[in-house]
Amino acid sequence: MTGISGKPGGTSLLSGNEAIARGALEAGICFSASYPGTPSTEIATALMEVSERYGLYAEWSVNEKVALEACTGASWAGIPSICSMKSLGLNVASDFLLNMNLSGSGPGGLVIVVCDDPRGHSSSNEQDSRFYAKASYLPLLEPSSCQQAKDIIPFALDISQRHQIPVIVRSTTRLSHSRALVKLGQMPKRKCTANNELAKGLYNVPNPHLRHKELDEKRSKVHREFENSTLNWISGSDKADTIIIASGVSFKYAEEAVELLGLENIQLGNLVTSHPLPLNTIIEWIQGKKRVVIAEEVDPFIEEEILSLAGELEWGERHQFYGKRNGFIPFYGELNTDVMKQALLKMEGTDLQVPGERKKAADAAQSILIPRPLTFCAGCTHRNVYWALQKVKQRLKGNLVVAGDIGCYSLGVFYGESMETMQSMGSGIGVASGLGQLYRFGFEKKIVAVAGDSTFFHACLPGLVNAKHKNAEVTFLILDNSTTAMTGFQPHPGSRTQKKDEKKVSIEAAVKSIAPDFYQRADASDPDALTDLLHKTIGMKGLKVLLLDSVCRLEEARLGETYENLPEVTIDSEACRGESCKICTSKFGCIALTWNAEKKRPEIVEHICVRCGACIAVCPHDAIGQGES
Amino acid sequence: MMQYNILIAGVGGQGNLVCGRVIAEAALRQGLRPTIGETFGASRRGGTVFTHLRLAERDLGPLIPEGQLDLLLGLEPLETLRGAVKLASSRTTAILSTVRVETPESLAGKVAYPKIDDILSSLETLCGAIRAVDPTESLEKIGTMKVLNTYMLGAIAGDSDLPIKSAILKETLKDTLGSWEINKAAFEAGMKDVAQSAH
Repeated sequence: MTGISGKPGGTSLLSGNEAIARGALEAGICFSASYPGTPSTEIATALMEVSERYGLYAEWSVNEKVALEACTGASWAGIPSICSMKSLGLNVASDFLLNMNLSGSGPGGLVIVVCDDPRGHSSSNEQDSRFYAKASYLPLLEPSSCQQAKDIIPFALDISQRHQIPVIVRSTTRLSHSRALVKLGQMPKRKCTANNELAKGLYNVPNPHLRHKELDEKRSKVHREFENSTLNWISGSDKADTIIIASGVSFKYAEEAVELLGLENIQLGNLVTSHPLPLNTIIEWIQGKKRVVIAEEVDPFIEEEILSLAGELEWGERHQFYGKRNGFIPFYGELNTDVMKQALLKMEGTDLQVPGERKKAADAAQSILIPRPLTFCAGCTHRNVYWALQKVKQRLKGNLVVAGDIGCYSLGVFYGESMETMQSMGSGIGVASGLGQLYRFGFEKKIVAVAGDSTFFHACLPGLVNAKHKNAEVTFLILDNSTTAMTGFQPHPGSRTQKKDEKKVSIEAAVKSIAPDFYQRADASDPDALTDLLHKTIGMKGLKVLLLDSVCRLEEARLGETYENLPEVTIDSEACRGESCKICTSKFGCIALTWNAEKKRPEIVEHICVRCGACIAVCPHDAIGQGES
Repeated sequence: MMQYNILIAGVGGQGNLVCGRVIAEAALRQGLRPTIGETFGASRRGGTVFTHLRLAERDLGPLIPEGQLDLLLGLEPLETLRGAVKLASSRTTAILSTVRVETPESLAGKVAYPKIDDILSSLETLCGAIRAVDPTESLEKIGTMKVLNTYMLGAIAGDSDLPIKSAILKETLKDTLGSWEINKAAFEAGMKDVAQSAH
């Protein structure tokens, strides 16, 4: 647990993300800008933790596009930089990416790390970000292990510096969030001095097409380097009749599946330089093989390149291909060793034999398992907001639509389906601004958009300005708990406390400057008051904004706040109506309230309760109370 | 090739990841190469957390394949069973705490949390051996449920198949965790309670 600053020559148990951060230090990178997003967050966090020690500048930018722009600015001025983000972040940054690739990234060097999330463990979608490398003609590297994740960053920076284009490194959840022993390399003497003169013509006009041509020439040069790269390697006897070509963490799965099945007549190729694809290397690997298996996460990115090559070379007769395109490997979800085993068995024309007894036992166990959905923490004020919204919806006889956004409050989808939509950062207010025009076409529902504080700065401002300018009929709720809670409490421009060199930006001032038809700041801790305020506000005409002061209980706990000096919440079992009501446990659903089936009464779970008292307002029979402090 | 696979199954907030990192560090001190696959992210909001811990002589993939599980370390009974359904086989020993963490829906009375006896008998059919311990009494004596993870590390330390010496595990804990007195008491209580539990 030495973190990323272990001694050169030693070993450290590092996560994939920490290994990437260590690689950035070994590469001599001096500038890091990022926006938090699982599974990428810990790369920038690790760099931030050692930034003073190594003279690095590291920031949480307002969003991924700004982060990439900031890093490119640094690279243009000669400062080596790294920009890490999750899959969806690259969507945000892609507008700039597909311009800057043509302009070039200058002498400093720029590594973009994108962490995809197959299966969408912590994401609103499942996407393969490697297609951005193809769209932008940029080099793409896919490490397979924590060691490689570290080693590849200096390699990537070197390519970037020599060709003056950014290099994309792609990880996936299981690499970013796995830990293994990593042998540490030398740390260079960090010497970053900015050029005071930027190169001329850092734009693509008036001849973007000629920049495109230049970029294609750079791509050809990188392609030639990739053909000779020792990063791509192959194991096993070349007399084998089958080859598995695998990239990223899929390589490890393929390796283990072959071992577990005891397959011998098979070679394994680890492809690390995925774009531009080293065609001659692939041709060499495939030669003499009857069967070619391609293993990768998420989409058939490499597979399609190889199949198109196979088409050009008229390989159809000589090789049989197995992958996602013909269903041997599922085209959605994560890979793992078991999925690879299944695919290899299918190729052999057999199937995985599960003994009947084991299947019976598993089915029986499955039948008693209950799901464990995610939920708001005890005392989380987001619960109060959705509770109040549900109350208002009842009062409006269902005539309410809630456009949600990305953050902890996305869990509203699991809370009585409190929101109708939830896609991308900032999409709540944008969607609402469109719905807010539909009254002219007979849309009769009241429209509410919900967003958090970090998300507000990230992507809500254009949508809010649009709503104001177009006079949309919308109520916009900003749930301000003053931190980026979902990803681990990163500070943002509106956070209560700021680092010494950073200045606070007030959400209130920003909203007021847009001058909505109605604005109020209110407390999210009292569900009753909140219900009345929401009801009143939603009934008004025009654009209404409520800034709701919210509390993140995890952040409070992290900052050492305790609630033990607050009076205990109590339940009066005489006043409680028991089974006939159950509003507190089954509707409000705070996890600090449990139902005692024997006593037919709710109970407070003392070690979970934070004594916020929100449930007092929820009980229609005044059975929940709190002593005097 | 020597290989020993551990799954730590629990719920967000139980110290699952810390547990995994302590075992991994102890394995390092014993000269093994640990690979850890961590699942977290949204897990802090009360979700399932699995840590895959693989001890071998070379680096393995981050996820344990089906049937290859040697030790199922259960911080919570329902999640222990969830882990067993996926990965357990006759080679698996399950050592678990029987203290339930309700789900939002079982708290609300919408679904019933399965009976502990049903969970245990299901585990018995899926695993080679199981040892269930109830840490309530011991941890109440120590005064906090927050050291459940250390208690369970004590419970597995006595297992004869674990390729890490219990002294090394204990020493690693001492070096990595704060408030050693409480953790030491929890570790030793776990070790003692599991020895007394029915096999």
